[in-house]
Amino acid sequence: MSSTSQKHKEFVAEPMGEKSVMALAGIGEVLGKRLEEKGFDKAYVVLGQFLVLKKDEELFRDWLKDTCGANAKQQGDCYGCLREWCDSFL
Amino acid sequence: FFFASATIMAAAQLTDEELSSELKRLGFVPGPVTESTRPVYLKKLKKLREDQQQRGARSSKGRNSGITSSNSSNSNSAAVAGAAGLGAAPARGDVTPPSCASSPGGRAALGAKRSVSAGKGALGFSSDESDVEVNPKKRGLQPGARRDRGSGVQQDRPGPNVTLGVLGKEGAGGVCSDFGKSSPGQLLLVRRSGGSAAPWWGDAAEDSETGRREADTPESRSLNGSRSPFGPNSGSSAGRYSDSEEEEEEEEGRHRNRRPSSRQSPFKSPSHPLRSVRGAAAGSGQEAPGGGAVALDDSPGAGTPDAAGERRPSEEAARRTAWGVLRNRSYKSTADSLSDIIMEDCGSAPHSNHHHHAAVGGEDSGARWGLSVRPRYAVYRSLPALARQDRCNHTAPSRPYSPLSALSPPPSKPAVPEDELLQQFRRDEVSGGGRLSAHSLSTVLLTAACLFFVLLGLVYVRMRGGGAAQTEGVDANYEKLIATALEWLIKTGEDVGIRLIGSQPGEAVTTVSKITHLESTHPKMSFICRFRRAFFMVIHRVLLFIAGVAVIFGVLLYVKYRWRKEEEETRQMYDMVEKIIGVLKSHGDACLENKDLQPYLPIPHVRDSLVQPQERKKMKKVWERAVAFLSTNESRIQTETQRIKGADFLVWRWIQPSLTCDQISSIPSKVWQGKAFPLDRRNSPPNSLTPCLKIRNMFDPVMEVGDNWHLAIHEAILEKCSDNDGIVHIAVDKNSREGCVYVKCLSAEHSGKAFKALHGSWFDGKLVTVKYLRLDRYHQRFPEAVGCITPLKPSSKHMSSLSHLRQWPSTDSLLGFS
Repeated sequence: MSSTSQKHKEFVAEPMGEKSVMALAGIGEVLGKRLEEKGFDKAYVVLGQFLVLKKDEELFRDWLKDTCGANAKQQGDCYGCLREWCDSFL
Repeated sequence: FFFASATIMAAAQLTDEELSSELKRLGFVPGPVTESTRPVYLKKLKKLREDQQQRGARSSKGRNSGITSSNSSNSNSAAVAGAAGLGAAPARGDVTPPSCASSPGGRAALGAKRSVSAGKGALGFSSDESDVEVNPKKRGLQPGARRDRGSGVQQDRPGPNVTLGVLGKEGAGGVCSDFGKSSPGQLLLVRRSGGSAAPWWGDAAEDSETGRREADTPESRSLNGSRSPFGPNSGSSAGRYSDSEEEEEEEEGRHRNRRPSSRQSPFKSPSHPLRSVRGAAAGSGQEAPGGGAVALDDSPGAGTPDAAGERRPSEEAARRTAWGVLRNRSYKSTADSLSDIIMEDCGSAPHSNHHHHAAVGGEDSGARWGLSVRPRYAVYRSLPALARQDRCNHTAPSRPYSPLSALSPPPSKPAVPEDELLQQFRRDEVSGGGRLSAHSLSTVLLTAACLFFVLLGLVYVRMRGGGAAQTEGVDANYEKLIATALEWLIKTGEDVGIRLIGSQPGEAVTTVSKITHLESTHPKMSFICRFRRAFFMVIHRVLLFIAGVAVIFGVLLYVKYRWRKEEEETRQMYDMVEKIIGVLKSHGDACLENKDLQPYLPIPHVRDSLVQPQERKKMKKVWERAVAFLSTNESRIQTETQRIKGADFLVWRWIQPSLTCDQISSIPSKVWQGKAFPLDRRNSPPNSLTPCLKIRNMFDPVMEVGDNWHLAIHEAILEKCSDNDGIVHIAVDKNSREGCVYVKCLSAEHSGKAFKALHGSWFDGKLVTVKYLRLDRYHQRFPEAVGCITPLKPSSKHMSSLSHLRQWPSTDSLLGFS
């Protein structure tokens, strides 16, 4: 709890609905734009990718790095955020 | 390694099934291989193969293994940039033979550097990962490395140069190919780690460069030590220069980063002479070594990539110019994106934000940098730089809005994220609105002043005519002279400034005798007099104008008021009509079942049952209209006279026999429809934090009609939380796109109960979500809520919004925890 950001807490607190990809923890404006360019325009699309990769941490992190150039911290934040969301709502 | 890379090339032609089976063969079970997961699995395959290779070849290549093992261990941490990795990898292979001639010390130094700095993966773009936590590690590494390098290499000067020359080319090649993979993270890394001034990065083009720059930084940083013939510091800079493309990238990259750091560092003063020196030697590559040394003296302490060194002779400069041009063209767009990155990061770190913007040109040395930079890198100077300069000039005065204004100038693609960012800022900054109104106020004032002056001018123009003077005879001589003069005046048609007026004003004057008045066409009134006249005239005109405007305004307001009143009354009437119909219908139904009842209802009785006693007088007019409406427009109700208990009453009779056709089964709107998910620890805070709640997605403002739908929302919330008598204020934000409702409770405990009741429920087909708000923000927004202490209750016991739920008792009250 102490090591998660405000964005993380907000995302995990409710169903993501139609939230933009920038609502994900670790994904800011620039990364979000890159993801959108690649076609991942909503958070649920990234969730889809996360699930297709079978929620595997390393694969998801690699994918995130390849797709939008996220650094390790950002990857970790995003992964943690999605994993917790899945634990709560999936 | 090359064998591995060869296999990797082949891997690109694998089909999905082959890829999948290859991975399984290596012991890893993959998920579906789709077009988005393919690259990830390819990488995984590569890595697994390398691991195999490495396990087999560990004994033979000590260095490689060290590096690859560190690669695999640090696969996710930032370290030496990809260029270093890429440069290192081929360099190791290709360059080793030629560099054999060069000093082994240099090679060893490089190798040592690579392993020390935990060389990145074999892939070029691992530079993408940079991290805060890695920075201190890197920083820690660098000074040690540099010092080692510097001391170690001082003995062999020529060797490192050759090596580095070669490496520079390699690095360039590597850099070229990896331009696509820019990484803002790298830039951030440098910025954070930057502690010393890099004055001649100030000279570097302000075009922001990609992370590639950043990638090269660590390598060149470490390379520096091995290069300098002048000692550790200057050596670092010299070394950096010999890798022209790298250093240029660094320059330009670090330029942005170093500047903020330079703000903090005490290196400013030594950097100034250096800058001027560099400014003087425009692109010629003739850096004063002294200048370089000056800057460098300060740098060692910082342990960060330092400033400059001196430049190599013209070849570097030439290369740099070439690179610069190339880069300039290719990086225009990335420059913008990078600037956004900087901005974005600045947004999160306002402290450094200030530095950035200030550094970029808003403050003193920044401006000087900008100046010195321009002549030197004229070719690099392009729109982004200028835009940034302007931006910075803007931002210097208004610091909190620097991200706002900084974001607005760049013209190209980052329009959408800018807007979002702007919106974010606008929402957060309450004073943003104030700023806008100040803006409009100033324009209004300006136009008012202009108008005033225009009016004054007009008044002056009019002043030239006016006023009359009478002639007075003084004595006989004068009279004769006057007569002659007047005759002459009549004879000549010139305009000498005197007008002759006869007894009738319109008449033309032909003889002296007819003249009764003289008028001066250029009256010479005193200034005060003129001013006064003008003043009064203006005042009168203005007052008239204002009066006219006020009258029109008043008329408009009145019309609007009347119209609204009319609408209100009509709506009330229709409500009443509907209520009456409802009552009559139900009475009719009751009559059918119960034959004892009379099939008609007296009108006054209906009125008294529908309208509360205290409202009867107010609603009289509405009632009358409703009755009239019913008698004319409603065919199912018949008005007749009946005698009831000895008195004559006008009664209504419901005459629609069948009931079925009137059952308009309307989809109930605005009702609660159940809960979507159980509230547990993970999707709701364990304890309620504040007494204020923000409820989202309760309505769609576009779909709502009428003025009073928000009351229905109020009712719905109160009914849902009917067991919780701690709600003191509800506010529906009618304009919010998300359908926000703000609720304040008596205490955090009450709001926690309300949270549990509301969060995750379905209302009117929409999933409602709740979050806590800070009390002071709530009070800021709704000052009327500060004094609310009486709990609100739903206005009717009918509980219409819960009607659906009553049929299916929800179990959510059993879940959750208090």
